[in-house]
Parts: sequence; structure tokens; C-alpha cells
Amino acid sequence: MSLARTLEVLKKDLQLGPRSPIFLWVLLLPLLITFVLQVTFGDLFDPQPRLGIVDQGSSAITTEVGEMSGIALTVLDDVDDLKTQVEANDLDAGLVLPDGFDDAVRSGARPPLEFYVGGESLASNRVILAVTTLDMVRQVEGKAPPVEVDVVSLGDELLPLSVRLVPFVVMYALLIAAVFLPSFSIADEREKHTLDALVVTPVKLSEVVAAKGVLGFGLAVAMAVATLWLNGALSVQAIALLVVLVIAGLLLTEIGLIYGTASKDVTGVFTLIKGTGFILLAPTIFYIFPDWPQWIAKLFPTYWVINPVYEVVINGAGLGTVWGELAIAAAVIVVMIVPLRYLIGRLETKLAIAA
Amino acid sequence: MADQAIEVSALSYSYGDIKAVDGVSFSVAPGEILGFLGPNGAGKSTTIKMLTGQLQPESGSIRILGMSHADQREHIQAKMGVCFEEKNLYEAMSGEENLRFFASLFGIKGVDTDQMLRRVGLGDRAGDRVAKYSKGMRQRLMMARTLVNSPDVLFLDEPTDGLDPVSAKAIRMLIQQEAERGAAVLLTTHDMHEADELSDRVAFISEGRLHAVDAPENLKLQFGERSVKVRVRTGDGVDERAIALDDSSAADFLKSAVESDGLMTIHTEEATLEAIFIEMTGRGLEG
Repeated sequence: MSLARTLEVLKKDLQLGPRSPIFLWVLLLPLLITFVLQVTFGDLFDPQPRLGIVDQGSSAITTEVGEMSGIALTVLDDVDDLKTQVEANDLDAGLVLPDGFDDAVRSGARPPLEFYVGGESLASNRVILAVTTLDMVRQVEGKAPPVEVDVVSLGDELLPLSVRLVPFVVMYALLIAAVFLPSFSIADEREKHTLDALVVTPVKLSEVVAAKGVLGFGLAVAMAVATLWLNGALSVQAIALLVVLVIAGLLLTEIGLIYGTASKDVTGVFTLIKGTGFILLAPTIFYIFPDWPQWIAKLFPTYWVINPVYEVVINGAGLGTVWGELAIAAAVIVVMIVPLRYLIGRLETKLAIAA
Repeated sequence: MADQAIEVSALSYSYGDIKAVDGVSFSVAPGEILGFLGPNGAGKSTTIKMLTGQLQPESGSIRILGMSHADQREHIQAKMGVCFEEKNLYEAMSGEENLRFFASLFGIKGVDTDQMLRRVGLGDRAGDRVAKYSKGMRQRLMMARTLVNSPDVLFLDEPTDGLDPVSAKAIRMLIQQEAERGAAVLLTTHDMHEADELSDRVAFISEGRLHAVDAPENLKLQFGERSVKVRVRTGDGVDERAIALDDSSAADFLKSAVESDGLMTIHTEEATLEAIFIEMTGRGLEG
């Protein structure tokens, strides 16, 4: 195996990439999905209510809200600017605190309080912001609430749907680059007979396949990182995140290479992906429906890479928590080398005996 | 350096129960062009695939430049050039990019693509994507790609098939230049005229077996008639006669014909390669 020749094939594929619709699709689709989900759910990882405040004095309410972890506060100087941002749904709600508001509340003067609500804001966010504002005002007033609220949790404690979609979005970004790109690239070269021209040069078919794999793997990890970054999730465990993404990228790239070497043409790859894409994405559905029996997800090979991603990204887990799952994923990667080698050999024979 | 660039001995290959190549033996010397003639399915492509290392022979031996694919495949491939009948170029790349990429696979840096493209008449289209090339231009680029590593052995599979006369002539000229440079050329073709024009020797293959390997002239002599057809204008018309060269009176007749004012033409009555092929194999070259 020659690294130099593998790199030459990789360079050629990178050169051809921007001229290929599949390559552009791989780059754009995960970003498009992220965009659609952000428009639908707000930031996937930051679904906090967004409150804007114009504080014309120096109200304690502004300080208190700023210190709350569950509300995204934006302090503005101008009321018109506040109204514009609320109207544009950049903020869920806006509050104008006039000069001397706190003193007026404490003196029982019942001063006016302008509270603007965005027409497109989520109802849940409006309620949270309204209740929080009233609570803050009551704190400024210094009186105990007239009732004692007994909070009772009903149903399961669930993460918001937007968060439960994270495994799907990350998996899709990985899948489309690591599986689609190498498999289509190999099948396309086979269909156009350019593989025939390569295998009569000193380059080996395994080197061509390796180059496709490196490209798919590199793009998969990059696209997963980009998707997470777009959603502000590249935070806590950077090393752990990189390790789980690398292992996920390797597993999926191997699947992509198997698809590519097993298919006789691009249509064959499409058929394979249509037939098995569900199996690859299936584990992500169990995060969206947490009341389903979760053990079923473990039957799918991709579970062993997507759950570590979920644990690291959503729960802030480190490698110590996910090493067992990563070990199983690594074992799957090693085992799949056997069919991949067989398929490369079979493809070599098929290229030779093809008319 | 081996005397023969290509040495094939008792080569056989089967696809299941079908014997595609059956005990084929031949050799090609450096600087020699061997025309490999046979109809579709005769075993030409299978033989070439074994020679290029794509297929493992069932039995027999192959030595290319004195080396065997079994232990020196990479070295052999570094010194050979293969031109396919199928136009398998990267269409989204330019002609120049195609050549540069293939040169890189041979470890050749700084290849003079301009000179190579000028040589095949594509100097002014170097930067154009291959998708915009005509069929003839693609075939000429295929030839340039085949020569990118200055190969010592060339395998050319129907290199002029379906081309216009100008492109076909350009490619034939390249083949001759490469042979003059010292490359051994194995040329498969349906075109008997091309084989006759280019080949030092031709090999007839049919149903996997070689029926003859010889110089076209020898085959023509062997299978043609030793006679000439003479046309002489006479007072009231044209006298056309076939003169057997072995006839004792032939010399006198030809002398008088040449000396007469009425001699129009003298043609040898040699057989065509196609006629010889049919006579030897019982099959035509087409189909």
C-alpha cells in the first residue's frame, strides 16, 4: 500500500469534489437540516426564552434576570429597537423599565410596565417570561406571594424535542458524508470505467478505496463538528467529542466503502442506501421517543457510536463514561474489515472480467 | 533486458465452462507491432487482461520485460501503457488535469503535459473539460494518457475504432512513432487494413486459439496466389490476363508487356488478411 499514490487519488477526488453534485449535497444538506430545525425549534442546544430589556434607570430586575441561567437576556438602549427585535422574532418578549421603577413599586404607586410579546414566539416562552417578570416585580416590592404554589411534576422528565433531535442531526451529517460520498464515488468510477484505467497503473484498487474512505471520513467529522458548532454545542468535553466523532466517522466510512464496493453502479448504491438507511438512522429515533424500549436501539450497529455522541454532547459525559460503547464500536469496525477486504477483491475480479 | 518484451506461453483462461483463451503462445519484441486480429469473443480482451495483470491465468506463463506479474506486478505496470476501447477519462477534469493525475500515479512529477497534448493535436484544448471533447479528441487524449509514462510495452485495444479518418491517421502515426522509439506494441483491431498497415506481424485468434502468428507479407504469400494480373490496351479494347509467376513463359510475357506501349496495370494477386483469416478459422473478423 503506497501512501503517496493514495494521496494522489485523494487529491484528484478533492479536485473533482466541487464539480460533483454529490459533494455539494454532502456539504449543504446537513447545514440545511440544521437551518430548518433551528427555524422550527429555535437553537437546538439553546432553547431558552429570549427576553429584551430597556432599562431607563437601574432596576434590580435587570440584574436579577441577567443572573438567571434559564433566560437569554439582551439589554437594549432604545425602545424602538426593542420593538423591532420582538417583531422580527429575534426576541420572544421585551420589557421597558422606566426610570425610578423599583422605587415606585416599593412605594405602592403601581407604575406602568410595558411588556411586548412577539407574535411568532413560542407560547411556552411567553408564559415563562411573563411569570418570571411578575415574580421579579414582586421581589422588588418585597412582599411574599399571596399564595403558596405547590409544584407537582406530572409525566416523565423529558428533554425538549429539539434536544432529542440532536442525535439525528449529528448522525445525518456523519452519515451523508461518510456513507454517501465514498459509496457514490466508487460506484461512479466503476460505472464510468475510470476504475479500469486506474487498476492498470501502479495504483492498487485498495489504495483507490482508501482514498475515498479518507475523503468521506474527513468530511464526515468536519460536517459533524460544523453542525454542532452551528448549534453552539462545541463546549465541554472537546477531546471526548473529537474521539467519539472519529470513531463514529470510521464506522460509517467503512459502511460507505462496503456499499461502494458491493454495488455495480450508482443506482445500486441508491438501492442499498434506500434499503438500509433506516437501519443506520434507527437508533436516533429512540432518542426522539424515549418511552420506546431503549434496548432495541442497541441492536443497531450505529447505536454504539451515536450514544457516545449523545452522552458527550447532551449530558456532558467524558470518555470514562462512554469507553465501553466506544470499545464495542471499535470491535464492529475491526470485524467489518473482513467483508470490506473480500468486497475489494471481488470488485477487482469483476473489473477484470467485465466486458 | 529480455530479448522479447512480451513472452506468452500456453496461456489459458476459462469463464466457467467456457474456454476463453486456450493454450495461446506468442512473443513481441521491443520495437515490434503485433496485430491481434479476431472477431468479438475470440479471446483478445481476455488475453490482454491477463497480460496487463488484471486477470490471473488459469495456466501458462507470461513474462513482460522479463518479469512476471506474480512477483513484479507493480514494476511491470510502471512500464506499460494500456489504451482501452472504452473512453474512460475523467470528464469533469481537463485534458491537462487528466494527464497530470495519471502521471502522478506513476510517480512522475513535472510532466510536460503541453508537449504531450500538442503531440496528439490537443495543444489548444488543454484547459477544456473532457466532457466538451469530441470522440476523436477523447481517443487522442486516451493515447496521450497511455504514453504518459513513456511505456516500454503498449497494449492498445481498438484504438481507432469508430474514429474519423484524420483522427485515426493521427493515432496510427503515434503508434508507429512509439514502435520506432522501441516500445513493444500489442494492437487489437477488427480493421484488417490497419493491421496490415501497422503490424510487423499479425496473430489470428478465434475461439480462444491462435491460428497463425506471422508477418502479413508471409501470410499473403502463403495463402495468396503467385500470380499477377496484367491489363494491356490492344487495338480494339483491353486485354486482361492472370499470369502465374511459376509459369516458364511468365518472364517473357511480362517483359513484352512492359516494353509495349499499351501496358495499363500490373497487380499482384495476393490475398487480403481477412480472406486469409476466414480461410484459416472459418469465421470473419466482424461479429
